[in-house]
Amino acid sequence: MTAVIETIELKKNYGNHEAVRGLNLSVHAGSVCAFLGQNGAGKSSTIKMLLGMIHPTSGNGSIFGHRIDKERESLLIRQKVAFVAEDKRLYDYMSVSQIIHFTRSFFPRWDHALETSLLERFELPSERKIRQLSKGMRTKLALLLGFARGCELLILDEPTEGLDPVAIEDVLQIVVSLAARGTTIFFSSHQIAEVEQVADHVLMIDRGKLVLDASMDRIKEQYRQIQAVFTDPIEERDLRLPGIGRVHVEGRTASFVASHNVDSIVEHVRMLHAGSIDVLPISLKEIFLEKVKARS
Amino acid sequence: MSVLFYKAWIETRVRFVAGLIAAAIVCIFYMEQHGWLVRMWTEDMQNPHGYHMKWMPLGIHEYGWYLWHYLYDNYLQQVWILSAILFAFGGLIRERNGGTVLFSLGLPVSRRRWLFTRLAVALLESIALSLFAVIVVVIGSTVIHQTYSLSQLLLHTALMVAAGVFMIAFGNLCYTLFPGNYLSLIVTLVLLGAPYLWLQTYMQHMNALGRTPWLGYLNVAHAMAGPWQLNWSTTPWLALLVAWALAAVLLGATVVHGDRLDY
Repeated sequence: MTAVIETIELKKNYGNHEAVRGLNLSVHAGSVCAFLGQNGAGKSSTIKMLLGMIHPTSGNGSIFGHRIDKERESLLIRQKVAFVAEDKRLYDYMSVSQIIHFTRSFFPRWDHALETSLLERFELPSERKIRQLSKGMRTKLALLLGFARGCELLILDEPTEGLDPVAIEDVLQIVVSLAARGTTIFFSSHQIAEVEQVADHVLMIDRGKLVLDASMDRIKEQYRQIQAVFTDPIEERDLRLPGIGRVHVEGRTASFVASHNVDSIVEHVRMLHAGSIDVLPISLKEIFLEKVKARS
Repeated sequence: MSVLFYKAWIETRVRFVAGLIAAAIVCIFYMEQHGWLVRMWTEDMQNPHGYHMKWMPLGIHEYGWYLWHYLYDNYLQQVWILSAILFAFGGLIRERNGGTVLFSLGLPVSRRRWLFTRLAVALLESIALSLFAVIVVVIGSTVIHQTYSLSQLLLHTALMVAAGVFMIAFGNLCYTLFPGNYLSLIVTLVLLGAPYLWLQTYMQHMNALGRTPWLGYLNVAHAMAGPWQLNWSTTPWLALLVAWALAAVLLGATVVHGDRLDY
């Protein structure tokens, strides 16, 4: 599959603070890729670097083969990419119809039918000034301005923040329908339930480093929570195997997440004289917490 | 491209209207005062103990000189400078404070295009303001039954705008360098206003002593006003070239700094 977004050892420092630390990631064409991480993990900095809004300290990246650190190529990127920022503030002196007209003029492939449909679906009043809209309405308008651009890649930074559950469901449905039409979606979110609902690939970042890069199918198939009770007390080092991250040992009980190699791990645990072994499915939220805790 | 001009226009239109009102007030006030001032100067000239200055005969007999002195060499020029730097106020740094910069930078528009579009609108508004002042002077002079040279008015307008681009470039660099809406505006006004006033006073003092120091070439206010009778040979070309060169340097610095900024 072709990589639409690619970064190589991408770094961003703000003074002494390393926001992004040698990030290597790739997002494939046609995928719905979720970009997860805690607050301050480096998600927004990465997205801003991809779109030329901040300059990488070192490393490189490309979108559709255009280098992100060249202003001229960044311009080509922004012709092909629709971006909706986390801070969805828009020009508050414009009306809804004025900002739609303004944004439309930059995108020759603007989807007029989608614009009309979303105006109706989001119940956005065309003639109202943006300053008179509620936060939720502004978010919906910002999303409309992103969705209707007719771009090949949609980058969304916390797209559903500030929306009610009905609106969130609407937005997720639109994301899925755009993906079905071939648009690549790259979105950051704190809402793991939403990610599980729409994403087919997950990238997880923690303190500027990529800690998980896996398809949703692989996560569902291969990630397992394993709990074992041993006849004698054991130590953490007994469970240092490929596929095991952080191990939590309490007396004769050990629990851990296995990312792959589950059958071999279970066999190894049996050989350590485990009395009982439970292999349980694990949610994305648990994996997220596991990855974040493992590094803290 | 036209929507970028439209955006810059709706962001500055209130300031533009305020600038027109200020220019109209200054022009109307000094035309209205003309009769009274001429009477006062005449009385002073006739009184041996009165206030006597070299320029008084010109002020009494030459309405064109009067217009140049009060408007193009002083108050209209100051209103124009203040308005021009206010028209140029804005841009991506200000948008960062307002929270809309990521939306703007997400559009396929280069940072330089954002900058130059806004500067072009500021320049067009500044030109419109100076032409509006000409119209006010034309109408006002008819009302007070005074004659003048329209070509001189237009030449002074052209010179004021031509040299005044330095002010726009300077203000624009300050807005890019200093964060905070009010801070950048205050810093711009102080950095422009203090040397402007000091240099004018210093040059008047030097002229009175019959000296022409090299600092005169940096006197943009003088370059904007020129002499009262303006023609090809009396145009302050060297001061004008210095103003343009400085404006180009400031603009270049703004572009380079703007390209490097992180939003």
